[in-house]
Amino acid sequence: MEINFVGITAALAAFLGIWLGHVSVRVIERNAKILWPPILIAIILGMAFEAFSLATSNRLLSAATGILGITILWDALEFIRQENRVKKGHAPANPSNPRHARILAEHPYATTLDLLNRDPIGQQVSTEDAVQLITDY
Amino acid sequence: MNTFGFLLGLTTLIIIGLGFVWVIRGERYFGLLWWPYIMGLGLLLIVGSLFLQNDWASALLGATGASLVWGSTEFKEQSIRAELGWFPFNRKKVQPPFADIIKKWKAPHL
Repeated sequence: MEINFVGITAALAAFLGIWLGHVSVRVIERNAKILWPPILIAIILGMAFEAFSLATSNRLLSAATGILGITILWDALEFIRQENRVKKGHAPANPSNPRHARILAEHPYATTLDLLNRDPIGQQVSTEDAVQLITDY
Repeated sequence: MNTFGFLLGLTTLIIIGLGFVWVIRGERYFGLLWWPYIMGLGLLLIVGSLFLQNDWASALLGATGASLVWGSTEFKEQSIRAELGWFPFNRKKVQPPFADIIKKWKAPHL
């Protein structure tokens, strides 16, 4: 029986695409003073990957670049979603970033605290307990 | 023009999108201690994809496996979001086999 590497190629592309996107979006959104340049770069890069995927006859490269291109295009949208998380206090704001400083001033729930930076305790917590848990961690 | 990768990308987007749903629902009803089983199943699917001769079947099984492996690393943060009240919290979760042993392991997070 012949081993088919298309599946593992798709798996690696999907996993790395999601992971790198997850990390990059958070780091870039946290530090970018304006968001439209990274969004535009993600759109162009994503489309370039898709164009390559369509152009190549190699099925493994086509699969990998097709998946990576889509995850990069999704990341363009995730920059906006991440900014909304910062506004809601679901992701920490960066006070050294003027865009985030404006968010902190204009949105009452925005916070510099990373409320997810702890281990789960298995029960619901109040806002005060939530802050205490990340301070103790 | 080779549309395989492009169409696979679109299909993988749906698979990843469904990942949001089953991670949120899965954590709510089953809890984060199921993570080793989800990760294991994901890895099995990826290995299984090696033996499928049809490219679409192999690719979809591989992408689904990868989504399960990634999703298993998202359970920890999702459980904290539910504790914070950002998502509904369910006290009566269905515990997995060997929950007492899994509790001692550090849940993965990437």
